[in-house]
Amino acid sequence: MSVAKPYESATSVGGWPLRLRLFIANYGVYIALLALLLAATVLTPRLYDVNTIAVVMRQASQLGIVAIGQTLILLVAGLDLSVGGIFLMTSIVVADVTNGRDELVIPAILIALALGALVGLGNGVLVTKRRVPPFVATLGMLVLVKGATQAYTKGVPGGFVPDILGIVNQSWFVLSIPLLLWLGLNAAFIFVLRRTVYGRKVYAVGSNIEAARLSGISVDAIRISVYILGSCLAVASGIVLTGYVGYVDRFIGTGLELDSIAAAIVGGTAFVGGRGGLLGTIAGVLIIQILSTMALLMGLDIEVQFIIKGLVILGAVTLYSLANVEA
Amino acid sequence: MGARHKSMSEYILEMLNISKSFAGVQALKDVSIRCRPGRVYGLVGENGAGKSTLMKILAGAYQADVGEIIYKGQRREGASAGDVIDSGISIIYQELALVPRMSVAENIFLGREPQRAFGLLDLKSLHERAAELTERLGIAMDTSLPVSELTVAQRQLVEIAKALSQNADLIVMDEPSAILAGSELDQLFSIIESLVEQGVTIIYISHRLDEVFRIADEVTVLKDGELVDTRSIDQLDRQTLVRLMVGRPLDEIFPRTDHEKGELVLVAEDVSTDTILEGASLELYKGEILGIAGMVGSGRTELARALFGADPLTSGTITLTGDKGASWSNPAQAIESGLVLVPEDRKSHGLFTSLSVRVNITLPILSRITRFGVLQSQAEDEVVEEAKHRLSIVMASADQEAQYLSGGNQQKVVLAKWLETHPAIVILDEPTRGVDVGAKFEIYKLMRQLNDRGIAIVMISSELPEVIGMSDRILVMNDGRIVGEVAQEEATEAGIIELATMAGAKAKVS
Repeated sequence: MSVAKPYESATSVGGWPLRLRLFIANYGVYIALLALLLAATVLTPRLYDVNTIAVVMRQASQLGIVAIGQTLILLVAGLDLSVGGIFLMTSIVVADVTNGRDELVIPAILIALALGALVGLGNGVLVTKRRVPPFVATLGMLVLVKGATQAYTKGVPGGFVPDILGIVNQSWFVLSIPLLLWLGLNAAFIFVLRRTVYGRKVYAVGSNIEAARLSGISVDAIRISVYILGSCLAVASGIVLTGYVGYVDRFIGTGLELDSIAAAIVGGTAFVGGRGGLLGTIAGVLIIQILSTMALLMGLDIEVQFIIKGLVILGAVTLYSLANVEA
Repeated sequence: MGARHKSMSEYILEMLNISKSFAGVQALKDVSIRCRPGRVYGLVGENGAGKSTLMKILAGAYQADVGEIIYKGQRREGASAGDVIDSGISIIYQELALVPRMSVAENIFLGREPQRAFGLLDLKSLHERAAELTERLGIAMDTSLPVSELTVAQRQLVEIAKALSQNADLIVMDEPSAILAGSELDQLFSIIESLVEQGVTIIYISHRLDEVFRIADEVTVLKDGELVDTRSIDQLDRQTLVRLMVGRPLDEIFPRTDHEKGELVLVAEDVSTDTILEGASLELYKGEILGIAGMVGSGRTELARALFGADPLTSGTITLTGDKGASWSNPAQAIESGLVLVPEDRKSHGLFTSLSVRVNITLPILSRITRFGVLQSQAEDEVVEEAKHRLSIVMASADQEAQYLSGGNQQKVVLAKWLETHPAIVILDEPTRGVDVGAKFEIYKLMRQLNDRGIAIVMISSELPEVIGMSDRILVMNDGRIVGEVAQEEATEAGIIELATMAGAKAKVS
């Protein structure tokens, strides 16, 4: 019926030249990170102290490991708020199973991973088979998991965190176990996303789910698997957090679920899926972590920290949407 | 100026010398229509003739590049959609604009609800006035029911009631009958008649010529964005009208190759899905092009999706003949069996716009270019390079995002992707829509090359010259059914339009 849609010339949409838009989309977050690091030389030179760098990198790793999963989920146009519940669950499982005994750490981790996978499966099934919007499905799962863990502990978490997990707080120069884990997982998942069939399918599903289905991809299986991976990565981050805190804290990792989404978005992963990747997320994680540390070093109030963080997120998203053709 | 005064008494609407183009594509060229009050005007033409564009200009959704609109004796300047409604023009689109969860009465008065003091809703008056309107339309309807509970036909009546509540003097109906059957259609016509008696002017857009003859006083024919003619209905017969719609002779050249009819490759028997598609049967032979003609909404795309396994069958069977003898129930199995679909809506069903050309092309054949699940870049580069060459895809690099390619090159990327699977059967749904003439010829040539390699092609197209020029046989669809088969030598545009617009196919079903 309607007249064939005219194709807009690729160079003129939105008024910004194509090259500039591609440049921002591809490298914007690194330029922002570089600018931040330069600003720190003047504002907070103490950031460059070896010990500070080590702490920043350890904390960035906690956030970064969850953010890997969050990026994968965002790539298939999803979202995972339930990771907050997984941190608490992991922490309680570790304390409950080991009760402080180092030799039981491995079984505890395996149990936590299995439970995490179950949560991810639940998220995935709700989103794909029951067509619940990811925000609602994972929010419900967050409340469910938190409620279930508190019912299990009757509100008084018991048990002790084994001493061996304290290893996450040690640094050799700037290197630490969390940092190595973060870097290793990044390397593995960057490889998966770029060089494997599975990675291609993840991008395809996120870019155009109907075209992916018509290309013979089992779109539901891909989406469910990504939610499971996301939950397992949250368990990994939860173990690092547990070792960091050293006891079962009811508020463990609070705020990391939103920070992990923010890191991925700031790093250029599209909220609508199909665009972005882990190299951007790494930079996004570093920006968020360095901002927090700088604010701390400058003695700014926590409220001011939040304001700065919020402005950075909004600024990044605004810039990407201006730069993006499809927005 | 003098002319305008004279027209004031005679016409309610004049659209004069309207031209409109989109990014260089001329959608309307110097089209004029005039409407007298209290009459029904049929507006007909093939898909893409410019009917909708003309009506969108009337609605204020588009502004004409050239031309003027004189409504109720006044020249209209840059009116917004809201101004147009306030001035008494209502347009009822095919996709109805109702809020499903709200009641009939609330929908009718949406945004113009009767109010009492302090902005409180006057519910009593709302329902009373809604009941008045439905009475005026001669329909019995509980105005407190949510619209989601109504049939499609009833919803359309709500739209008409809404138009009346806006004191519309001119109502445009865009293919109202496309979703109506038998008695519902009679009801619509009697409502139109009573509206006309009340002095309302109707512009009735339809593909179905029978209806136009039944209801219209005058018919305007558009073709390729130009006005062919406006005639009084008594000066027209069916044949003449079809000839006016089809108009020009074939002015495009279609490459042909002579080949013998090959062996049978696919048989579909009595295929229905949970859509309009009803009992479709067809046979497909090696190396031929089977054209599927029919109006938009006649079930062509649904047939393609059914063949591909994209919609589950509610009845019937589809089988590949020959040594494979396979059948399938999802796209993955269809692709595996050697049948692929290049979908109609490239942007939403075919192309991954945010991904690179490389990723788009190799997606269905990843297993061929991987070792232990790891992609072999060199093998992938070769595939992409060859596809680029074979289809002469113009791109800056294989890593360019598909969204930055032109329409023709995007279509070539989608084609390349499917050809890489080495299919035996290719279904092309509107393969040349939205591509420029040069790319069209390349796609035609490619189709012939595929035939020469023994590939069978099913081609769905709204462009009749293309269907006739390219197909060996043509199946015509109407109301979800295959209503006829035409051999290439005997095919004429008029004959196909006649089959495609014949009424009654649906009446048999319901």
